[in-house]
Amino acid sequence: MNTSPKRRIALAAGSAVALTALLAGCSAGGGSEGEGSGGTLVFAVETDPSCIDPQQPTVTQALYIGRQVVDSLVDQDPETGEIVPWLASEFSSNDDMTAFEFTLRDDVTFSDGSELTSEVVQANFDAIVEMAADGSTASLAGQYLSGYAGTEIVDDQTFRVAFDAPNAAFLQGASTMSLGLVSQATTEETPEARCQDGVIGTGPFVYDAYAPNSEVSMDRRDGYDWASGLRGHEGDAYLDRIEFAVVTEASVRVGGLQSGEFDIVGELPYADEPRIADEGYSIYAKANPGIPTSLIPNLENPVLADPAVREALRVGIDREDINATLGYAGGEAPTSALSSGTSGYTSQAGLMAYDPDAAIAALEDAGWAEGADGIREKDGQRLTFTATGFYEQEMMELIQLQLKDLGIDMQIDFTDAGGFFGAIADRSYDVLFAALTRTGPDALGVMFEQAAPSHWAVVDDAELEAILSEQAATSDEDARQELLDEAQRIIIEDGYLFPVLEVYQVHASQPEVTGFAFDSASRFHLYDVELG
Amino acid sequence: MPGAGTSPSRTALAAVRAVAPRILQFVFVVWATYTVTFLLIRILPGDPVLAALAVQSGDATTVDPEQLAALREEAGLAGSVLSQYLAQLGGLLTGDLGTSLATGRPVTQMISDVVPGSLAVAGLALVVGVTMSLLVGFLAYVSPWRWLRDLLVQLPPLGVAVPAFVTGLVLISVFSFTLGWFPASGARSPLSVVLPAVTLAFPVGAIFFQVFSAAIREAEGSAYVFTADVKGLSRLAIFGRHILRNAMLPSVTSIGLLVGFLAGGTAVVETVFSRDGIGRIVVAAVQARDVNVIQGVIIVVAVVYALAALLVDLSYPLLDPRLRTRGRVRPAPVVAGGLGAVAAPGEAPSGSAPSAGEEAPR
Repeated sequence: MNTSPKRRIALAAGSAVALTALLAGCSAGGGSEGEGSGGTLVFAVETDPSCIDPQQPTVTQALYIGRQVVDSLVDQDPETGEIVPWLASEFSSNDDMTAFEFTLRDDVTFSDGSELTSEVVQANFDAIVEMAADGSTASLAGQYLSGYAGTEIVDDQTFRVAFDAPNAAFLQGASTMSLGLVSQATTEETPEARCQDGVIGTGPFVYDAYAPNSEVSMDRRDGYDWASGLRGHEGDAYLDRIEFAVVTEASVRVGGLQSGEFDIVGELPYADEPRIADEGYSIYAKANPGIPTSLIPNLENPVLADPAVREALRVGIDREDINATLGYAGGEAPTSALSSGTSGYTSQAGLMAYDPDAAIAALEDAGWAEGADGIREKDGQRLTFTATGFYEQEMMELIQLQLKDLGIDMQIDFTDAGGFFGAIADRSYDVLFAALTRTGPDALGVMFEQAAPSHWAVVDDAELEAILSEQAATSDEDARQELLDEAQRIIIEDGYLFPVLEVYQVHASQPEVTGFAFDSASRFHLYDVELG
Repeated sequence: MPGAGTSPSRTALAAVRAVAPRILQFVFVVWATYTVTFLLIRILPGDPVLAALAVQSGDATTVDPEQLAALREEAGLAGSVLSQYLAQLGGLLTGDLGTSLATGRPVTQMISDVVPGSLAVAGLALVVGVTMSLLVGFLAYVSPWRWLRDLLVQLPPLGVAVPAFVTGLVLISVFSFTLGWFPASGARSPLSVVLPAVTLAFPVGAIFFQVFSAAIREAEGSAYVFTADVKGLSRLAIFGRHILRNAMLPSVTSIGLLVGFLAGGTAVVETVFSRDGIGRIVVAAVQARDVNVIQGVIIVVAVVYALAALLVDLSYPLLDPRLRTRGRVRPAPVVAGGLGAVAAPGEAPSGSAPSAGEEAPR
């Protein structure tokens, strides 16, 4: 060719420079935004909240984000389970838990300047019941208000909430963000607008902006002076501003914690926890209250109707192994139908100890003999059933392996949320695989009461049914606890539920961050948090 | 559209004749996409209303049959398939894509909210990708050493071979976590668009490069380049005036396809970089089986795709004078490579086929 090599080299060099310049041009620029002087907390969360009105969703992230902008009538001590005053300075219930009277503090205002009065609370509860009526939203808050008959206003600061039927869950529910109070103006908005634009609350932070799938930001409320006695200080929150960044990739959350881009990261993967703890970051872990991740049998299924099969499942699942393999390293295997952090929990560990020999013996005694392929059979019926679930597929597979050793064939139907609830709706499942998160022991009622609108389990047990409805109508703590003890014993002993793993909320922060505290629902308050 | 004047000029008529079939084609593509999507979504098992509800309501999802029936009605999912089809088609014609089952927001609004963000990433990715491959192509052409040339030509396929989430995570760990130049996530700073765009630029550039380098090779071997070479034109001039221009046509076609790829292909990048966007909406919608959103996004992507194809089609005559309609005469575009040799090197080498033997642009 005619072009001299020299010229070619010059051209090549020239374009190499251009290419470098292009890349450099892309990468030039300032660093990531630094820490604000007085404190912007950047909190990386795993999932888009999808709705920032705390009364409507059940998405964990939506609940803890919403928690920062609303206050509740009462608060619950996460240690003792005791209900204490918050926006209501006094509260009481009648004996059968059908009416609750509250007296509000008189100094509370919403961030739009309006005052908190009995009328506002009434508007809140009425709006929740209305939103929940068609089943499209506010279902959790709606459950806490189940049987709601109305709010009777006594005076500006005093009101009475009445129910058609006993509702022991209400007071506990009143401590959650799901029944957190929003302003009169907010209650008049459409549910969609509340989801998207946020709500006006009385909380220590005020929504600034919500960019779906990206970020929620909130600023400190000046003049906040009604923190619950369970908080670490009084007056304004310490942080100036909080930015919740939606970061779905776990590795990016962890890397961002290590690089300092995030102050706190939520939903730290269990597998990363020991390493992150070793590097000196602070770890916060708490088991979700309610019912642990469990297998829930349908007792209309001929195989699962056999008590021997359920006994084998009760003692034949190696929960320690599952916890060690897939659980949070600092966590414990579940020991009851309620998770260990739930008020009303009583250990049934004795009934649930892993004993594969006993499981096999129970099956053999009942006539389930091992077939040619290792799966047991009885009168031509194979010992097989299908578990329906929509998360934690690995855990289902691990259980499947464990049960196979006992001669039990558990098929897996891994579906989506719609398929899962469809199976509940038409009672077509053999076994459900899921957890049920609720603040209190009423999770048992939600799961097992056949009259409850949401009931999951298909069980025909009049005794259990009676105990569950009686506990909901019992205001005496000790008497209620006795009933709950009995309910948990029956559920475990009779094999109505096979707990598998306690689900832990695990978050991590920079070492100098202080003041992070879980509430009784394993959500948290950032009011006391300081960047240090 | 060339407005027909008072006296219908011949050229205007010809232009309409040339453009009208393309527009018909565009409408057909969008309609066919809607129909296929509609049917596919109906074939899926399960109840979309329940699936969407479960996203927001989680373990408190209602299973009450009456409530579900009422919600289905509200969502426009009740009634016969044909009436649903026609109702939604009517909505589509008026620009109403319905309401998201999971969020209750209008789909049109959900999509228009995220378009700027996606557009910024996709647009920058296209620019960076195409520029990179032009540069690599040029470097390979002028490279004095064969090994360097071979190496450069082998590089771009890597861009397709390495999955976007790997590229993205590597870029994040280098440029965000180690160097701290760019944010790793979100859209909180304007710089946040860079890493996702660069991540996407690799596959985009690679696909473009495949077409572009083939076109360069083709042109390089042609007689008119040989002639230009013999006449003593510089490599730079040959590349700029002869090779680049002839490589344009197939390359522009591939850009049309890339726009379609970018319109729907941002999901992984948006997930890795935690940005809101079209792809993110689709992922969430599929998880929630949010049928109206899935359908809305697919239609929007189809429109973008078809529009890009339309523009590419319409741009051919601008790029290649042989494709311009002179009156009603359309010269046959296939020209033997030998004819190109006749083209004077100084002029636009328009006499040569974009790539001899290749299918002629329609």
